[in-house]
Amino acid sequence: MSGTENAYELHQVSFAYESEQSVLDGITLSIPSGSWVSLVGPNGCGKSTLAKLLGGLLAANAGEVVVEGTVLNRETIHQIRPRIGMVFQNPDNQFIGSTVEEDIAFGLEGRCLPREEMIHRVRKYGDKLEIGHLLSKHPSELSGGQKQRVAVAAILAMEPGIVIFDEASSMLDEKARGELLDIIKEMKQSGEYTIVSITHDAEEIMYSDRAIVLLDGGVAADLSPEDLFHDDALLQSCRLIAPYRIQLVRELAKLGVQVPPLQREEEVTEALWQLHLNK
Amino acid sequence: MRNKLLFGRCIDTGSWVHAVDPRAKLTAMVLYLAALLAVGSWIPLAIAAAFSLAYMLATQIPLKYFVKAAKPLWVLMVFIFVIQCLTVDEGVALWQIGSWTLYSEGLSKGLIAALRMALLVSFTAILTFTTTPGLLNQGMSGVLKPLEKIGISAERLTLMMSIALRFIPTILDETHKIVKAQAARGADLKELPWKEKGKLLVSLLVPVTVSAFRRAEDLVLSMESRGYLIGAPRSEYHLLVWRSRDTGFILSFIVLVAVVVVLRFI
Repeated sequence: MSGTENAYELHQVSFAYESEQSVLDGITLSIPSGSWVSLVGPNGCGKSTLAKLLGGLLAANAGEVVVEGTVLNRETIHQIRPRIGMVFQNPDNQFIGSTVEEDIAFGLEGRCLPREEMIHRVRKYGDKLEIGHLLSKHPSELSGGQKQRVAVAAILAMEPGIVIFDEASSMLDEKARGELLDIIKEMKQSGEYTIVSITHDAEEIMYSDRAIVLLDGGVAADLSPEDLFHDDALLQSCRLIAPYRIQLVRELAKLGVQVPPLQREEEVTEALWQLHLNK
Repeated sequence: MRNKLLFGRCIDTGSWVHAVDPRAKLTAMVLYLAALLAVGSWIPLAIAAAFSLAYMLATQIPLKYFVKAAKPLWVLMVFIFVIQCLTVDEGVALWQIGSWTLYSEGLSKGLIAALRMALLVSFTAILTFTTTPGLLNQGMSGVLKPLEKIGISAERLTLMMSIALRFIPTILDETHKIVKAQAARGADLKELPWKEKGKLLVSLLVPVTVSAFRRAEDLVLSMESRGYLIGAPRSEYHLLVWRSRDTGFILSFIVLVAVVVVLRFI
């Protein structure tokens, strides 16, 4: 399975909850293994529906979804499902166990893993997500950010190749959001995961490899985050605002000050200092 | 933290009672209930009380927690007591108001019944205080397993129970939030007359139910994406090993039932 180059290939995928109103219409796209893709678009554009299709939680009405070379259907879903992990928006509603460790173990029990292996993985991924000291806690004793870390640990413990974040950071505060972003960055760096993230968070989009823009149930654009944040019309239709440093660099360019496009705010500051010194 | 003493909350002191197999604890609770039902006079009640106290102390959990566990049911206890006082007309007449007389038997039976109730609630709290919900579930599925022979799925029953236990605090929390939101818009539950309160409760029920369904939907997605399939084989994270101590634990309850029953018939 791992030999294939694309984690996902979608051919003319359409979906409708009710037959007259199609939510997704003729979506064709591919996502290479090991990449980090942001799915963006305004509310109601079909992002979450697409996420559910990618996760195998909904079946397409037309077209096909190919996961790591295997066509997703009723027969193959049980073989494909272990490859895909999903982290959802509401940290409370995806907490199944009554303690952190039981929640991480829930998916592992379904895999029929031997007990020693489960204990090993609960420890390993608990420590990795820095929730090792919370293993015996009830969800009501955790903060939103901690619960979301548990959700990620529970998914990673199942060792999937593809992880889908369905607006996973939208209910978190600024700090927890930053922490979740760091986790995703680390996952990307490890090279073990294909990451699909549905998000409104400009910062998160910036760090991903590619942004796929969904508008009215279709793919409106498939481009680099850099290009997305320089396309005002597209940004407006997605209801996104470019990160501050990009806005700054663009405004400076209008005034004739050239600062190269940089990934982090500190780098922009540094570049500005350099410019100032060289004046 | 909001609600320190939630239903189903385990208080870990590391006592030996905590380590007893949850299946043994569940069986023991049923036996305890049977024993209490057979208690009809002061001596067996005293024996049951001493027995309960011994186990409560053995858990090393402060006794005030057990008292707190029984507190919410005080209305029921008073009700049981009053009913007995009003209806029993045996023994010596103690007190007379108008046409109603309080008899010594009524007083004694009322007290016994109320105390029995208090014992039952506070003692069964041992089960939830000393067992984590996960272990409790697994114990429950072990105890219910024989039901599968008559076509009832123990797995479904325990899954329902565990999700209910898991979400009771979450939904209570949400109810409080909605009450506050309504109060902020001028519909303060506390200040309204009873009739209005009733109406407001109905309007509270709708959003709470809707949101519970929404949560359920999310939960289903989350469980499905983690590969959950009803009836599919699963391995178990908690390991239950039956030890001789567990047999001893149950035996102590059988002895209690025997003593109480014998006392009742001699």
